[in-house]
Amino acid sequence: MMPLAMAREGETVLVQFVDCGKELKRRLCDLGLYDNTKIKIVKNDISGPIVITVKDSKLVIGRGQANKILVGEPKE
Amino acid sequence: MKIALAGNPNSGKTTLFNSLTGMRQHVGNWPGKTVEKKEGSFNYTGKKIEVTDLPGTYSLTAYSIEEIVARDFIVDETPDVVINIVDASNLERNLYLTIQLIELGAKVILALNMNRFANKKGLEINVDKLSQLLGIPVVKIEAIDETGKKVLLDSVIEFHENKIQNKLKYGKEIEEHITELSNLIKAELNEKNPEWIALKLLEKDKQIIETVSKIQNGKKVMMNVRQVQNHLDKVFGEDVDAAIADARYGFIAGLLKESVKKPAIDKMTMSENIDKIVISKIFGIPLFLLAMYLLFQITFTVSGPIINWINSGIGWLAESSMTFLEGVGAPAWLASLVGDGLFGGVGSVLVFVPIIMIMFFIISLMEDSGYMARAAFIMDKVMHKIGLHGKAFIPFLLGFGCTVPAIMATRTLESRKDRIMTMLLSPMMSCSARLPVYVLFTAAFFAKNKTLIIFSIYLLGIIIAMLIGLIFKKTLFKGESSPFVMELPPYRIPTLKGSFMHMWEKGKLFIIKAGTVIFGAVLVIWFLSSVPFGVEYGSEQSLVGIIGKIIAPVFQPLGFGNWQAAVSLLFGFIAKEVIIGSMGTLYGVGQEGLSAVLHGSFTPLSAYAFMVFVLLYVPCIAVIATIKKETNSWKWPAFTTVYLTVVAWIISFIVYQGGLLLGLG
Repeated sequence: MMPLAMAREGETVLVQFVDCGKELKRRLCDLGLYDNTKIKIVKNDISGPIVITVKDSKLVIGRGQANKILVGEPKE
Repeated sequence: MKIALAGNPNSGKTTLFNSLTGMRQHVGNWPGKTVEKKEGSFNYTGKKIEVTDLPGTYSLTAYSIEEIVARDFIVDETPDVVINIVDASNLERNLYLTIQLIELGAKVILALNMNRFANKKGLEINVDKLSQLLGIPVVKIEAIDETGKKVLLDSVIEFHENKIQNKLKYGKEIEEHITELSNLIKAELNEKNPEWIALKLLEKDKQIIETVSKIQNGKKVMMNVRQVQNHLDKVFGEDVDAAIADARYGFIAGLLKESVKKPAIDKMTMSENIDKIVISKIFGIPLFLLAMYLLFQITFTVSGPIINWINSGIGWLAESSMTFLEGVGAPAWLASLVGDGLFGGVGSVLVFVPIIMIMFFIISLMEDSGYMARAAFIMDKVMHKIGLHGKAFIPFLLGFGCTVPAIMATRTLESRKDRIMTMLLSPMMSCSARLPVYVLFTAAFFAKNKTLIIFSIYLLGIIIAMLIGLIFKKTLFKGESSPFVMELPPYRIPTLKGSFMHMWEKGKLFIIKAGTVIFGAVLVIWFLSSVPFGVEYGSEQSLVGIIGKIIAPVFQPLGFGNWQAAVSLLFGFIAKEVIIGSMGTLYGVGQEGLSAVLHGSFTPLSAYAFMVFVLLYVPCIAVIATIKKETNSWKWPAFTTVYLTVVAWIISFIVYQGGLLLGLG
């Protein structure tokens, strides 16, 4: 497991745990991101927000928030 | 009959609304909220249909004002049919809202939009199957060119007349408890939709909990709810609300498996290819700067001549009406009221209109095309330093054109803290109305380095805004910065109709709301300049001249303690471009001779301090009126007025006195 902020561009990962306040957790869930969601990292520079694909839509997530989303290898 | 439109942001909801209602729409605010409310009506097969465009939301929780507004409308106003417009190329996420609309007891029709795009992605959607599984009608449309509009409206009418009841499945465990709780709610509380209340109580929805707790028998219900929650938390090993969300997504995944065929490998879409360039490290910033340059270039090139027409038109009207009134023997004060007050006032409001309308037209094109979200992404790094995120750059940027649209654009920010902070900082982006002051003073005092001096003023505004932003972040707006989570919608070709309507709305809103306030203020200033009657308008003997003399000493330490400067700054409160014009009147030389006369009362150093003061002090009355309207209170406009003037004084003081110490005086 590692924070989403550390995932490499182009990688596909599985959300393991969203370690943040209720409000943000709910908002991410409304946007389709919750435990066991498969996400693809579209863009991740060393600093600044990151871009991911979740369920056919692209999301921008601030680096601070991306540090609170823990991801792991997808199960095949 | 009454219908409502619901859907995710970027699902084409507004396009459908515009296509249904055309110009027969009304834009206002939801009572007591700064959320836009759009209503309209149209006739279909002899029936009058009223439409309300609900705010675009991803969900129906109690966590955002938009979501509360949307669900309160459905519960309280009970529209006959709710058209839920969804992006067919992004069904899984979009249906999450659909499910919640059905839970709410709304009569939902699903309008599948953007099918062509979905087809391009290789999706095959079985509409009948989808309709059967959801238990609601599903219609394919294309909002942008009105494909399927007739079928949609026919099914609205038909659906309205037939009653279908639909129910969703959450899995046995949760369902049993919902039934149990809803029976209790039915017995204890008089609620129309006990199942929805039960579900929301289980989800710990703060708004519903508050409502239920207020009712006498509500406490008994809440006790039961807590018991069930504890039980379910144990069963699922996670919060009940998370389990319910899982159940919803699970239900959606199940029905999509049966109704949609997906290609084995995701096709690269056009959007993804465009994004490879637009948000890339190499091209991202240059393209962003180019877009911003075009925004301003087009705005000022197009609005320039229109502003000139307005000015000369109003000038002609003012003059001829004064001549006419004097000709028929009306008293001089009346002629002055009409000429200087009325037309002068109307003119100062109208000159903003072309800038606002054109700017919002271009912004709307940028927004609808999907570029604005990318620009916010690119700017996030910079904005983050002062505790704001990428989206807040849009108001700042607009501020260089005109602060009024900048304040209006803060609506796109979700958190109130971010909104207010952006409103407080954006006046420091030097608006176009301040430019004439810089041009005149640099021509008179810094002829050799004109461009450099003007550029330094603009830069100073940005630096001071950053510094104040840092101070605000540590004091007034302490606490964690709001999370930055935003959708990057696919690129789309914007519709001219939509952008025109957006432009029209913003222009109208400005004229009505700000216009009345500005107009009142203009009359006050006219009065101050005219009394005691008989003195020359705005002269040393007029009330404003006397006030000018009283406040002039305040500016002495800044290097410009003459009464004319003080009065012109007072007039600048109406509009910054008035400063130069009024200086001409006050020095009694007209604008041509002004440059020479200024050398008598300013040194290069005090001229620079004056420009700094003009840059930073209280923005014009239109801005204050807009802040009042947007925050719905007098607190923030009052704060803005005071704090900016204090900041302007301090910085000008530092510039002037520091300059003297360095021997620049």
